[in-house]
Amino acid sequence: MTKKESDLTLDVKLFASSREIIGKNKITLKLTDQMTTVRDLRKAILELYPSLHSSKIYFTIAVNHKVATDTTALNHLDEVALLPPISGG
Amino acid sequence: MISITEYPIDVFKVLMEVQDRSAGATTVFTGSIRDHNDKGTVSELYYEAYKEMAEEILAEIESEVIKRWHVKKFIAIHRTGNLNVSDISVAVAVSSEHRKEAFEACRYGIESIKSRVPIWKKEVSGLGALWTDGVLVKDD
Repeated sequence: MTKKESDLTLDVKLFASSREIIGKNKITLKLTDQMTTVRDLRKAILELYPSLHSSKIYFTIAVNHKVATDTTALNHLDEVALLPPISGG
Repeated sequence: MISITEYPIDVFKVLMEVQDRSAGATTVFTGSIRDHNDKGTVSELYYEAYKEMAEEILAEIESEVIKRWHVKKFIAIHRTGNLNVSDISVAVAVSSEHRKEAFEACRYGIESIKSRVPIWKKEVSGLGALWTDGVLVKDD
C-alpha cells in the first residue's frame, strides 16, 4: 500500500475481551482514502485480527466517545474504540 | 455528580451529598457483588471501564434525569478494579420533591448505566476468570 496524503492512520483502543484476545491495549490501522467509514474500519480490524471473529467477540465502535454507526465517517485525530458487549452495574 | 472511581464507594457520603433542602424524597440504589452466578460460586470480580467515555455517558444520563423528572440532585458512581463479595460496585442516588420522581429517576439511572455505559465485568469462579455476557451498546 503506497502511503498517500489522504491515507488515514488511526489508533483503536481495546477493552475487556477484545483487549485480551488481541493482547494489546490499542492497535494502529492504516486506512486508504477509499476506506473512510466505520464499516471499512470494522472490516479492516476483522481482516487483521481474525481471532476476534473466531472467538465470537461482537463489538460496537465508538468514535470520539459516541456510539458510531456503520456509515459514520472517520477523520484524522478521531478517538476510536472497540467496545465488546458491556456488563457494568 | 457522576464519577468512575477505583476507590471504595461510601454510601453514607452519597446519601449526605444527595440531600437537598427543597427535596422531600431521597432514593439510593446500590449494586454489590453476589457470592454466586448461575454457574456456581463467585469469589471476586474485576471491573474495567473506558473512563473518558463512561463519564461522558454518565453526565448525559444525569442531564436526562434532571430534565425529565426535575430532580434536585443526582449522583451516579461506578467502581473499577478488583472487588470482593459484598463490595459495592455502583451507587445511584436521587433527591426530588416527591417519592414518585425519586424512584423513577433512580431506576432510570441504574438501567441506563447497565445498557449504555462502557464498563466490563470479569467474574472469578470455579470455572476460572470469565468476562460476563453483556449487552452490545446500540446507537440511540
